[in-house]
Amino acid sequence: MSEARQQIALVDVNCFYASAERAFDPSLEGKPLVVLSNNDGCAVTRSPEAKALGISTGEPWFKIAPRAKEWGLVARSSNYELYGDISARVMELLGRYSAWLEVYSIDEAFLGIKGSPDQVVGLGRTIRTAVQRNVGMPVCVGIAATKTLAKLANRWAKNNPALGGVCRWESMDPESRELLMARLPVSEVWGVAGRLERRLNAMGICSILELSRADPVMVRDRFSVVLMRTVLELRGTPCLPLEEERVGRDQLIFSRSFSTPLTSVPEFRQVLSVYAQQASARLARHHLQAKVLTAFAGTSHYNPKDKSFPSVCVPLPMPTSDPVLLTRAAHALLPAIQDGVKYARAGIMVTDLRPSGNQQPLEPFTNPHEERGIGPLVEQISRKYGRSTIGLGFAGLRSGLDWSMKRGMRSPRYTTHWDELPVARAN
Amino acid sequence: MGVIIGPRVIEAGLSLRLVLISPVAVAAGFPSPAQDYFDGRIDLNEHLIKDITSTYIVRVSGDSMEQAGISDGDELIVNRALEPRDGSVVVAVLDGELTVKRLKITAAGVVLQAANPLYPDISVPALADLTIWGVATRCLHHV
Ligand SMILES: [Mg+2]
Repeated sequence: MSEARQQIALVDVNCFYASAERAFDPSLEGKPLVVLSNNDGCAVTRSPEAKALGISTGEPWFKIAPRAKEWGLVARSSNYELYGDISARVMELLGRYSAWLEVYSIDEAFLGIKGSPDQVVGLGRTIRTAVQRNVGMPVCVGIAATKTLAKLANRWAKNNPALGGVCRWESMDPESRELLMARLPVSEVWGVAGRLERRLNAMGICSILELSRADPVMVRDRFSVVLMRTVLELRGTPCLPLEEERVGRDQLIFSRSFSTPLTSVPEFRQVLSVYAQQASARLARHHLQAKVLTAFAGTSHYNPKDKSFPSVCVPLPMPTSDPVLLTRAAHALLPAIQDGVKYARAGIMVTDLRPSGNQQPLEPFTNPHEERGIGPLVEQISRKYGRSTIGLGFAGLRSGLDWSMKRGMRSPRYTTHWDELPVARAN
Repeated sequence: MGVIIGPRVIEAGLSLRLVLISPVAVAAGFPSPAQDYFDGRIDLNEHLIKDITSTYIVRVSGDSMEQAGISDGDELIVNRALEPRDGSVVVAVLDGELTVKRLKITAAGVVLQAANPLYPDISVPALADLTIWGVATRCLHHV
């Protein structure tokens, strides 16, 4: 009976962005490759060859660029259209192997699986082969009794090619598991970082093994229930159920850094309008409404003078996904913008999300725009005719302005744009 | 059905305006006797794409497959999950590029052929010596 217990598999694409680039441009195979963040700021994904050159994740591109030629290093701007589609294909495929799927990020998902140790490892291999064959993405699969251990097992599979990309935690012998946990710092545990790590270290808890042996009650009292769950999960007791409906994600963020800094209120008015409408569209698509909107802006960390990080938090009059209300709320940031200061990023975040139509608002609070379906109308039109054909107010005047992202080294959007299809040579 | 061609401005109140700059179809909403029989139009995706996760569209550049009915500028529907067989039109990786060829598998070995005698065959001992990116299932030929 216990053999057929629920297990959790974490499937994670290796070097996702770099793998997605290579899938459509085989000439990149074997070459050092970095994919740059928004606005070509820094390296967010490195191929193994780029890692071997000593390029660290988050390294600014302007520091790497001078040596790129000598290294034969290829850089690509983030191609979100491509990565989004590849991700959707991977997740759809994973869904065929388990009805119990939690998409955790763009390139990783937890799957609930059942079976004997051999069966679940076999399933892991089947999944790995299928994702490689159908989508061309290399993945590793970590399998364990808990999510936290599945993460560790996945990491182990990544670092040990001999495992063939699949590692079941409980199938490792106990000494190897302890050795691994003793070697890894607590910061390698899912959910432990920064201040928490320093506090644990101060108590003499430095390795994952030490954390797993800490007294859960002490951890709860001195830290949090969340960390206590981590301790229990490391001991093999499942505490974090799969969240199939990740609508439970309690925030949506729309934020970007700019190729040319924003320096004036009118520019901000436009940018915030665009984000508010993106937020509105996303909320509507997921049948969600937000209760709170936060708008923020900031100067570059590379520009220490003129520091300015204004933000406002606006409680909305009612839970809403209405673009007009969200835009108005986002504009509350405008009085805080200092004219002349060079802002490098701005964004909005909607929080306190809830399913729409959960509770009927009292008559006086019914939002006239929602009734007229303006949000869905805008979304329908932009789906049909393209993202920049329609917008509310200032967001409607998007074309020709230069604040949008710099993606000068972006590869074609191979799978989402008819005029950017991959080319197959016949000559 | 009425069609409104933009630009057109609708007052949305609150000093923001909704600007339509695309043609928008507006349904007049009369009851149609055919309504009960309408089950959706023919959906090419449904008929041309067997598996949405493994199907890609590539554009052909060049005339080496002309005699197989695949012309310069045509689009191919390619399924990466299919097992290539003798006679399959495949997209293979040659010198780091996606290349369209006809696959011939014989007892003597494996050959990638163009459908044009001007292009030489590429022979390898076994299928494993090739990187087959995908198998073409349809050609969207421009007539
Ligand atoms: Mg990954």
